[in-house]
Amino acid sequence: MSFAFAICLAVLFGVAALGTPIGYSMLVASIAYLAASGADLSLAAEQLIQNIYTGYILLAVPLFIVAANIMNAGAISDRLLEFCIALVGRFRGGMGYVNIAVSLIFAGMSGSAVADAAGPGKMIIGMMTKGGRYSRGFAAGITAASATIGPIVPPSIPMVMYALISDQSIGYLFLAGVVPGLLMALVLAVMNYVLAKRGELVREEPVPLRELPRLTLRAIPVLFMPVILLGGIYGGATTPTEAAAIAALYALVLAMVFYRQLSLHGLGQVFSESARQAATVGIVIGSALIFNYIVAAERIPDALAGFLAGINLGPVGFMVLVNILLLLLGTLLDGGTIILVVLPLFIPAARALGIDLIHFGVVAVVNTMIGLVTPPYGMLIFVINAVTGIAIKDIIRGVLPFLAALLMALVVLAAFPDLILFLPRLLGYQG
Amino acid sequence: MKRLTHFLGMGANMVAAGMLAAIFATFLIQIAARYLLTQFGVQLELGWTIELNLTLWLWLVLFTCAFVLHERDHVKFDLIYSHGSMRRKRVFAVLSALSIIVALIAAMPDTWDYVSFYKIKKSPTMRIRLNYVFSIYLVFAGVIALRYGWRLIDVVRGRDLTRDDRDILAD
Repeated sequence: MSFAFAICLAVLFGVAALGTPIGYSMLVASIAYLAASGADLSLAAEQLIQNIYTGYILLAVPLFIVAANIMNAGAISDRLLEFCIALVGRFRGGMGYVNIAVSLIFAGMSGSAVADAAGPGKMIIGMMTKGGRYSRGFAAGITAASATIGPIVPPSIPMVMYALISDQSIGYLFLAGVVPGLLMALVLAVMNYVLAKRGELVREEPVPLRELPRLTLRAIPVLFMPVILLGGIYGGATTPTEAAAIAALYALVLAMVFYRQLSLHGLGQVFSESARQAATVGIVIGSALIFNYIVAAERIPDALAGFLAGINLGPVGFMVLVNILLLLLGTLLDGGTIILVVLPLFIPAARALGIDLIHFGVVAVVNTMIGLVTPPYGMLIFVINAVTGIAIKDIIRGVLPFLAALLMALVVLAAFPDLILFLPRLLGYQG
Repeated sequence: MKRLTHFLGMGANMVAAGMLAAIFATFLIQIAARYLLTQFGVQLELGWTIELNLTLWLWLVLFTCAFVLHERDHVKFDLIYSHGSMRRKRVFAVLSALSIIVALIAAMPDTWDYVSFYKIKKSPTMRIRLNYVFSIYLVFAGVIALRYGWRLIDVVRGRDLTRDDRDILAD
């Protein structure tokens, strides 16, 4: 590590700790590095401009954001909720299952955990706590935990970011997220079952089974989204970025034509809101890529891989170490920053140890999503606090058992690569 | 003055939304042309859609950061900041603004050279001079430096910093 790079890190941590936006902190740190190493200061601008201007797959990010916002604005989530209540509300602790099921299906349409928690999550918490049937902490806890499924099941913005830094196929990464998403839903459902038994949680008034076909029919267009998306990519019809545009168009047609819940004015607001969110993510990605350029120029990942090889750390030890590190970072940093800045450090080492990079990426993304619900700095905890006003300490108490369940799922996924790689291999992944 | 900046802000927001809508529409044209029109034997030259979208995406990010986003919209690591006293927050905000201003202004001459150097090169399909395409970065760097300069003065004069607490739903 050179002196200039030490300055770069010091500036990065110093400036970020002041509360400076992360994107600008990385930009400032990069310029400080260039100054300290006597390089041309325009390299920062060059990297940012060229990475965005040539980063075709990044265009999926704004389009997935548009799709998620259309679905929340267009009341598509409402239909989904009705359907899930009819399906699993009748069991003890029924709304817990409804919550998980909604997240799983919504995940198939949006790429963002925050969109899930702020949209359908908020509605479900309202229904659960009405009349004190479920405690506020429990309702908020299960909503936060189940929202982490969102970016695991395709489409997924974090997976696009990982594809960008690791040069892996987005298509295979998306496929690889399907089984882990289902597994996460399963462990959460088991935890809900355990808690429901102990706490005698209420059941929903069973919706007559003869109603089910009608409600299913109404929800089918929503359920169909992942099929269109994945079918388009794997059928070879569209590139993943084009698939993102189709996802947004599909959500638009559903909301405006099929359900007629979104006006032109509402659509304008969706685009305006989405533009702001896309730029917020975009500047972090752009600046992180300058930073990655510096890290690569300093050969840090290779040095790290060499060091890890030197201490004879096997693949198992490596996975354990990286996952613990990511979990710790996840309590403090946001998921996007970890994926863009921290993961590139470990990719050469993972490759050298013979760890499949799709497996590694999916485990790492699951890990950072768990970071979204780990206190003290869990983005989803803050989002739910902001939309419902439930106290942070109640949310944390409620989320802890589900957090334990998610951690178990993480361990299983890290230990059994076949669970993740099974689907991609079925569709031609050679790994 | 307040009303003027309010209207300008709204206008900028509409421009940003328009750019995003244009990206979306261009993608739809690209997909329609490639998968539908070819079935009817119509072949369109579509290299421009990708280039247009990449240009719009670059402009969307930098333009929106420069003219639309507020301090509270950004992703931050505010664990240490948010637990400080009001006095410490003020000091932090000043130092933070200073670091951004110094870095962007220091890099400005080299960056100016870099962007203007591209006047000799045109984009591959739309044939736009690349110094025009990349000039949005200069606008971004200049405006951000100015805005943080303004913020610096504002904080020193007693700006209510709770207004900048992160608006999480803007994620």
